[in-house]
Amino acid sequence: MRYSALVLAIALGIAAEGPVTPAAAQTPSQTSGDWVVPRTADGHPDLQGNWSNATLTPLQRPSGRAAILTAEQVIDIEQGRESVVVERSVASDPDRGAPEAGGTNPVCIDAPTTCYNEVYIDPGTRVAVVNGEPRSSLVTMPLNGRIPPLSDEARQHRMESSQFNSQFGQTDHPELRPVAERCLVSFGSNAGPPMLPNGWYNNNYTIVQTADHVLIMAEMVHDARIIRIGDGPRLPGHMRPWLGDSWGHWEGDVLVVETTNLHPLQQYTSESMKVTERFSRVAEDALLYEFRIDDPTTYTEPWAGQVPMKALDDGLYEYACHEGNYSMSNVLSGARYQDRVEVDVSRN
Amino acid sequence: MNGIWQALGNSHWDIEPHQARAALQMVPGPVVPVPAPEVVAFGAIGAVPPGMGIVLGGEIPYLPGALAIRDANRENWVTLDPVVKCYLPGVPRATYMPFPFQIFQSESAFFITYEYAGADRNVYLEDPGPPQVDAWMGQSVGHWEGDTFVVEASGFNGQAWLDRSGNHASYQLRVTERYTMTSPYHMLYEATMEDPSTFSRPWTIRLPLYKHIEDGARIGVFKCAEFVEELLYGQYRKSP
Amino acid sequence: MTTKILMYGALAFGTAAFLAHAAPAVGHHAFGAEFDPDAPIRLQGKIVRVEWVNPHSWIHIEVANDDGTSRVWMVEGGTPNVLQRRGLRRDCLPIGSELIVDGYQAKDHSLPRANGRDVTFTDGRKFFLGSSGTGAPEDGAERGSLEAGGGRC
Repeated sequence: MRYSALVLAIALGIAAEGPVTPAAAQTPSQTSGDWVVPRTADGHPDLQGNWSNATLTPLQRPSGRAAILTAEQVIDIEQGRESVVVERSVASDPDRGAPEAGGTNPVCIDAPTTCYNEVYIDPGTRVAVVNGEPRSSLVTMPLNGRIPPLSDEARQHRMESSQFNSQFGQTDHPELRPVAERCLVSFGSNAGPPMLPNGWYNNNYTIVQTADHVLIMAEMVHDARIIRIGDGPRLPGHMRPWLGDSWGHWEGDVLVVETTNLHPLQQYTSESMKVTERFSRVAEDALLYEFRIDDPTTYTEPWAGQVPMKALDDGLYEYACHEGNYSMSNVLSGARYQDRVEVDVSRN
Repeated sequence: MNGIWQALGNSHWDIEPHQARAALQMVPGPVVPVPAPEVVAFGAIGAVPPGMGIVLGGEIPYLPGALAIRDANRENWVTLDPVVKCYLPGVPRATYMPFPFQIFQSESAFFITYEYAGADRNVYLEDPGPPQVDAWMGQSVGHWEGDTFVVEASGFNGQAWLDRSGNHASYQLRVTERYTMTSPYHMLYEATMEDPSTFSRPWTIRLPLYKHIEDGARIGVFKCAEFVEELLYGQYRKSP
Repeated sequence: MTTKILMYGALAFGTAAFLAHAAPAVGHHAFGAEFDPDAPIRLQGKIVRVEWVNPHSWIHIEVANDDGTSRVWMVEGGTPNVLQRRGLRRDCLPIGSELIVDGYQAKDHSLPRANGRDVTFTDGRKFFLGSSGTGAPEDGAERGSLEAGGGRC
């Protein structure tokens, strides 16, 4: 539902679409009614179009939740989100002063202040429904819906990284900033692989499919994954491009993609990690995306998840992040300014 | 038109016909102009190779004010060329950058992804209407005229250049491209530029594009934003 | 890096449900790294320019100083891609309109920049929702002169 229409509907007391709808997502063998999976000229299911994986379902299962949400929980979550949208869209007091220093409202990304107008955020309006089940997490394996613990080797590795980084302040050098702030990739793992919603906005993808390639472009940061269909030589181990090295093949009506050579700065990565993805066209307006991470050097067990992708009734826009990246210079120059202030203060 | 394509030649240095010259940015020297200090260390690697150019008719028909901008661009190339900062190349420069690009053509889509900076263009096969926003890569709409794929691109932000030699256009630029296969491995590329605030009339470039035929051909990843952090943010580092 | 928890609505507004949404560990750029939570600010001024860029748009407003001079402040907005999908387009933004901004100044206090925590028209309506307040820019009453290249509303 268009955001503006949603706000208007709520403001007028009109019920938005019922939050619990029968699943559009079904396994390929259970296509209902007269719907027939559209196919490309070479007979494979057509995965093309613009898709969104925005959802109110988090990656990992919050404690105290079962794998499948009850109808009441779904309503709570979805209407809770709607209420927030309405609340924050209400006009402000024009005579308001500056906000509080330090802030008191806990809604913010990393500080106890309200940082941004709600309008910047577009996390989705629905929980993830797969096979008719409203899910409490995108992770489905392990059964507790949470990413498994790190292996000893990975813990050691992270400790060493921490120690290395501890010689720096977080704002000393551009290389120490998060890769998203550097405009190298999106936040979280939008392009991945695995391709996951980032919880913020622009969780959109364009998929183009030919006989021997599938291209998936994530809106942020216009990252185009090129998946070769077939089986060919992998890149040498020392070559780890930002979006990995992907080869795909069709298993019946499912596109199975295996990716290795993951970039060391990606969110989920190691030299030996393999990400396996499955793409299915499950409805006229939906894909089912499944992923699995295998890496005994990082996790004590493999883990996997399912993410519905819904047809996006809109275009993707250019996200030229680096070209407009005031944030990076603001962060660094701000830190240098504060350094100088501290020096001046300590001198006086 | 699926495949990996690349232009040959030196048009990315300068799309007009030109002799070789010592550098992209020159300053007065004791006898003749010399490479500017910012580029002199590159030596011959920074020198501009000769080229017959790709502009039909040889000269870009600038309006006088726009020609002055072009010349000013040349005097300050290293600070003004957006590609030095790894900014997106725009159209048509993306086509003849010294990097390959890949076309993904299906019954319902035509998508071009360029190795340089991962620039992307989704060429719409149905006109979505006027561009909603100005963009580095603009908005592209394509249709077939016989065996030629004609793309109309507009909605540019006016910040991209046309080559390394300061050639430029404004946000009013409209580019009409024509892609025609002339063999399984060759494509003829033409692009007509119209921009009434920059040029006195439309003008056209023409060059062949060559398909990559080596085993295992693929485009690589050139996310150069990382490579220019020292350039852009080095001044903000904590004391050395 | 620790995982940040972003809580939607429930705690602040007292509904029974609690939605915990884990923001990614490699998160959105850190508000606290760019802006100074100890430097809150209130600005009022007319829009003179809008930079419709990613990752954040920037609205330039001219703020009058007490001594009769004025200073142009840059106010950080959201990603244009979201705003566009909500019906807001750069060419519909009313250049010349007066805005009230409350937020926090950039950590670099030498720069007249602030985050646009709450950006409204002078009657309190949220600027980023458009002049109608519902994301659909409508009647021309609110509009000042449009930027060149307009006519795309």
